[in-house]
Amino acid sequence: MSTPRGTQGQPHLASIEEQRALSTGTRGAAGGNKRQWSQDVQEEFQTFYQENLGLIYRYIYSKVGNREEAEDLTSQIFLKAVRGLDAERSPQSMQKWLFQVARTTIADHWRMYYRASVSSLEELLDAGWEGPIEEESVPMSTTPSERVQRILRALPEHYREVLTCRFLYNLSIKDTALRMGLTEANVKVLQFRALKRAADLDPIVTEVM
Amino acid sequence: MIGDDQERFEDYLELERYIEELQAGRVAHPPSDLTPGQAKIYRMAALFRSASAESAEPRPEFVEQLKARLLALDEVGQEQEEPTQELPGLGKPVEPEQIPATKEQQVPQIPQPLPQKKGMPQRARFVSRRSLLSGGAVAAASLLAGAAVGAAADQLAHHSSPPGPNGSSTLYNPTPLVPSDISTIWLPVATLAELGDDAKRFVSDIVIGYVIRNDGDDKEEGNPAKEPVIAFSAACTHMGCIVQWNNGDRQFHCPCHNGRFTEYGKPDNSPGGRLYLTALPRLNVKVDSDGKVYVQVPKKTS
Repeated sequence: MSTPRGTQGQPHLASIEEQRALSTGTRGAAGGNKRQWSQDVQEEFQTFYQENLGLIYRYIYSKVGNREEAEDLTSQIFLKAVRGLDAERSPQSMQKWLFQVARTTIADHWRMYYRASVSSLEELLDAGWEGPIEEESVPMSTTPSERVQRILRALPEHYREVLTCRFLYNLSIKDTALRMGLTEANVKVLQFRALKRAADLDPIVTEVM
Repeated sequence: MIGDDQERFEDYLELERYIEELQAGRVAHPPSDLTPGQAKIYRMAALFRSASAESAEPRPEFVEQLKARLLALDEVGQEQEEPTQELPGLGKPVEPEQIPATKEQQVPQIPQPLPQKKGMPQRARFVSRRSLLSGGAVAAASLLAGAAVGAAADQLAHHSSPPGPNGSSTLYNPTPLVPSDISTIWLPVATLAELGDDAKRFVSDIVIGYVIRNDGDDKEEGNPAKEPVIAFSAACTHMGCIVQWNNGDRQFHCPCHNGRFTEYGKPDNSPGGRLYLTALPRLNVKVDSDGKVYVQVPKKTS
């Protein structure tokens, strides 16, 4: 019969001193021990990060349209999300959590740029925040580029053309006007209306899928 | 709805300004006094901008910088924690009532030395999946078995790797499932006579396990298992499901995630190699002169 093993004072693992050294971290170069200690953790995090960084960044970029804010908000999101990660979640549920954080972060961000009176949920929803429930499947199952493609396919031709010129080919107003045989003023009106129609179509084409 | 907002000339100009700012790679915001309908238009502009912008893909430098920042955060988080004088699960005596019953408390004991909850809010930790899994197993086993501490220590020991002072291999459990300081009983589970070649399951209030004859081919170091019978917990070290003896291949199969263990509870990590299992924790066994087999299990203190 085996002898009952170590109880108090006899951790079979590293001694208390070693544990403390590992946990408080021999930082930097001498962190040999520590690096080894957290290797597992780092690997898991790396995987999670690699799988989700791009998704989040592209999602945020599709909301703000510029790199600086996309980077800033993406950073905020990960910083917030990492702190809130519950150790026992599956990768799927962690991703879900991450996207929830992303949505609320974007909502907070937008709140700053809309009229101060935008306080009710409804107004927020109209102002562009997709809401807690509706958005749930969209960022995960539809990438921004898929959304764009679907909308484009659904648009009437002249709207599709102006948006293609302006956003896919990145043509200037002038070049778009030339290409489409319109005046520059026409193009400005047309792009306005095309985007408006796109906004109307967006929920429809996303649903259909 | 069309016609909701009267289109004004300024609307077109403002929108164009916004689009041009984005196309120039600058930060831009819609005017702040938009109606909801107008706001949607600007959202579309941002969406369409992302369709072809190079900057819609994250910069490699940004990716690396953020990653470094997050990793540093994690380390800093660790460092800020008080070093625990008594790492739970490492043989520190724990009264059965103190055994945490919740998963959250279990998991962080592995491999990171988080302070034991002293009413302090748990700092969330990004823990490795492997340890998550073991932690889950421990938690589940502990919910099932109640003898959380020993099992937690097993997993902790395994993942932290260095063989303990007992010199036992990492696959086996230097810390018993049942710590020496909790009340136990010797539970009669079988007689030698009725124990054929197959494993026999037993169920107690706190632990469910198997006993099996020791043919002498048990290769465990550090625990010579001189008894003719070996006993161990039936809780799969992955997530705690009760493993099932399969007479065909003479292995324990876990119905949940296909974990496999040998007849002596050693992990057989071959199926797909997906699971990194630790051995089913051993229990003390004795056989009396009548051939009655007893297993030492925690006593239910009610």
